[in-house]
Amino acid sequence: YRDLHTFELQAPTRLIEWARGSRVCVAGYGQSDGNEILQLIPPPTLLTKETQGLCPERDFKVECGGFSERPVYSLKYVPDTSLLVTSGPPDSSLQVWQVSAEDSDVIKSVSPIATENDTGQSWAKIATISARAPWVLHGSRLDRVQITEVESRKNVYTGAPGGSEELSGLAFLDCSTLLLCCATGQLCLADVRQPQRLLEALPVPSAPCSERWCLGTRHGAQGLEPSSQPVARLSSRGLLTLTDLRKTSEFLALAKARVPSPGSGAEFLCVSWAPALEGCLAVSGFDGTVHVYDTQSWDSSGREAEPIFVHKGHAFGGAGGSGDPPLVTAHTWHLQKPRTLLSAASDGSLHVWDWVQPCGKC
Amino acid sequence: MPEIKVTPLGAGQDVGRSCILVSIAGKNVMLDCGMHMGYNDDRRFPDFSYITQNGRLTDFLDCVIISHFHLDHCGALPYFSEMVGYDGPIYMTHPTKAICPILLEDYRKITVDKKGETNFFTSQMIKDCMKKVVAVHLHQTVQVDEELEIKAYYAGHVLGAAMFQIKVGCESVVYTGDYNMTPDRHLGAAWIDKCRPDLLISESTYATTIRDSKRCRERDFLKKVHETVERGGKVLIPVFALGRAQELCILLETFWERMNLKAPIYFSTGLTEKANHYYKLFITWTNQKIRKTFVQRNMFEFKHIKAFDRAFADNPGPMVVFATPGMLHAGQSLQIFRKWAGNEKNMVIMPGYCVQGTVGHKILSGQRKLEMEGRQILEVKMQVEYMSFSAHADAKGIMQLIRQAEPRNVLLVHGEAKKMEFLKQKIEQEFHVSCYMPANGETTTILTNPCIPVDISLGLLKRETAIGPLPDAKKPKLMHGTLLMKDNSFRLLCPEQALKELGLAEHQLRFTCRVHVQDPRKEHETGLRVYNHLKGVLKDYSVQHLPDGSITVESILIQATAHSEDQGTKVLLVSWTYQDEELGSYLTSLLKKGLPQST
Repeated sequence: YRDLHTFELQAPTRLIEWARGSRVCVAGYGQSDGNEILQLIPPPTLLTKETQGLCPERDFKVECGGFSERPVYSLKYVPDTSLLVTSGPPDSSLQVWQVSAEDSDVIKSVSPIATENDTGQSWAKIATISARAPWVLHGSRLDRVQITEVESRKNVYTGAPGGSEELSGLAFLDCSTLLLCCATGQLCLADVRQPQRLLEALPVPSAPCSERWCLGTRHGAQGLEPSSQPVARLSSRGLLTLTDLRKTSEFLALAKARVPSPGSGAEFLCVSWAPALEGCLAVSGFDGTVHVYDTQSWDSSGREAEPIFVHKGHAFGGAGGSGDPPLVTAHTWHLQKPRTLLSAASDGSLHVWDWVQPCGKC
Repeated sequence: MPEIKVTPLGAGQDVGRSCILVSIAGKNVMLDCGMHMGYNDDRRFPDFSYITQNGRLTDFLDCVIISHFHLDHCGALPYFSEMVGYDGPIYMTHPTKAICPILLEDYRKITVDKKGETNFFTSQMIKDCMKKVVAVHLHQTVQVDEELEIKAYYAGHVLGAAMFQIKVGCESVVYTGDYNMTPDRHLGAAWIDKCRPDLLISESTYATTIRDSKRCRERDFLKKVHETVERGGKVLIPVFALGRAQELCILLETFWERMNLKAPIYFSTGLTEKANHYYKLFITWTNQKIRKTFVQRNMFEFKHIKAFDRAFADNPGPMVVFATPGMLHAGQSLQIFRKWAGNEKNMVIMPGYCVQGTVGHKILSGQRKLEMEGRQILEVKMQVEYMSFSAHADAKGIMQLIRQAEPRNVLLVHGEAKKMEFLKQKIEQEFHVSCYMPANGETTTILTNPCIPVDISLGLLKRETAIGPLPDAKKPKLMHGTLLMKDNSFRLLCPEQALKELGLAEHQLRFTCRVHVQDPRKEHETGLRVYNHLKGVLKDYSVQHLPDGSITVESILIQATAHSEDQGTKVLLVSWTYQDEELGSYLTSLLKKGLPQST
């Protein structure tokens, strides 16, 4: 490690989102109400380029907070607005919130975006973009995907019918192209201008078992042709596939992460690309660790890959021996500092760590 | 409505100068008397003229309570008691009483000698002020006067810091001062019992902080020390005699042992004596671990840490030195600093806040050329680092304390209103209590519901339970009695006994109501009609027809008489005593409805 800071949140979070002005947002996902959404200002040490060891300001500050009656499973800021959108059980509706940090430190609830409630619908996955207007793409199932204009609440796009698979992730590739990932691993592309029709569906690698998959797209890569960035998929068994969206018939790479098997629940699977390091991605959700892999050396053989760094901090934190060991619930990369990550675990810990590249690479 | 009034007197939000005025049941208490470290003029003192325009403070205030020895809580005390004028009692814990004068004197020296100020308290004033101090023990109920009592609770934070409960009758306020809910190496965590005060006053300056873990800070501290020592440099750690020094010593000793380091660690002798002295006096104030080690061996018999001699500062090679005073403003730490400042391999680690005007403050703000006495310029090439280990309660800690004490209301001080809304809502939602955040100078009034205990006489209790339905645990039973307030005692008695005690005669009240009834027949026939009617309707009551023609229902009398002018109308006189009001009214309305046609 070059640096490691550990913090303890009052309640564990399963999301870490970056907001304007280097703010970080976390939220509680407990079953009872009274979950808090907290927008935090990271300590100055994290914001500056060089790491300072001893510094007067080493703490996160809560800039503002809100209270959510339901557990918050997903949260996205809506660009170009002072709003954010959250989703969580028991249904697939979205809650909308107003953040106005200068006036008050309370994040206020604004009217929700309702969806038709089907029985057995799980919570909606969200993505946001500000294209012609601030939009939120949301849905819990493949056939229930829609884009809602946040301010007017107008429905701008509705997904193709058929295909009731549960979604595990969705993203805007650009303001017209959507990428949808099903829990079964299937990836679908859709065009906003051609609703009711999916462009194509990409296959799942390997033999079907009851694994769940999640998606990782490279965000922050503005200006680059989005479809040129490989898309990663992670399964609950540890399989990682990289796909180039321009050549969807074959996999760019296939590897297996070194994770304990069988994967305990796929609740917190998370895979993300490093915004500032070419070919690096991080994987978490299997246990109390976060793995960093360099995919540039991968091929399509499906061999087990060696992580270039493993963050084990969460496994050691917390009260020893009480109940289950902590599970990493979320991780995210720092947007500017190339090797800095933030990770959160089920025991409420929040770690900020900066790893050192092993020798032999630059 | 009885009320508690709270007015924070400190002004300015930055470092915070604590001074809170509380009015409870006619008593006035001042909580803390702090100095604002950032100002050089009168703004550094709280505005005492608010308390009373021309009266004497001693008459107005019943007592002053100081929570701990930090200057932003006690710095203005000598000014207040000797220059403004207050001769009443000042309460604080024993360690605070011992340490306060040292810090005040130190501070006075810097302000007057170094900065050349004139309107400041003198050494004698500090001494005179401390003479007015009454030291208290933890959990000891102290009677300030017949009605006002106070009790100190452990607050953690620094040695001797306490939270105070102020109680008058059944109204109480708890003031936390600065506290910490997580124990550290040498202090325990704050604790209070479920005292259910009407109001809890809590500092909230750190409520919005999510703290870096202690392990990380310590690790970084050790890393810095290690790096410096490895490259042959010297590390100076200026400390105040107590508290953090012990913690850092233990930390370094363990690290040196683990890493098998050879560089010497020293602490100045002044430190040993003072520290040992205080620890012996106040051993119960530190946490379990320290107590155990102290019992097993002398606190300062470390394997790797030795007593310092002035000459050692000139020795070549790496070393670590703990020296007083903590802000580098005088004495040994300043001497050592001057010797080592010119070498960039060396490092100084400042352990806490430094007052403006001290060398410590200057180098922390980035100054690298310092003017020493005799106009000598000292160039500071050594590394300057800052490490704060001081602990305050964060939002989680505040919630924990509220959960422990169960107050009916919460008041937060020292936070910007805009930044406290979230915490206020959090407290209100979780505990269903009101949360106030007054600005400095603003008075908050909190209404209380004092409970007044009243004794009920056995006779009354027996009598009331005998009447009517049996007592049921689930249904409230209405009882009638007389409340007698005599000589500060409250009693509930049956009316007869109350009258007897007061020497009053009992008067009987009797009501008579006239009900007109159309009936041309004779009175006694009307009477019979009424009797038959009532007998039929009031089956549960005893209805009697007396020989003289009148009817009784229980103890109510009904008589039929002729109307003086109208032969066709009869007047029923219904008469009852005050005690039979209910039945009487019922009968009257029943009769007013009229009699049935048949007899």
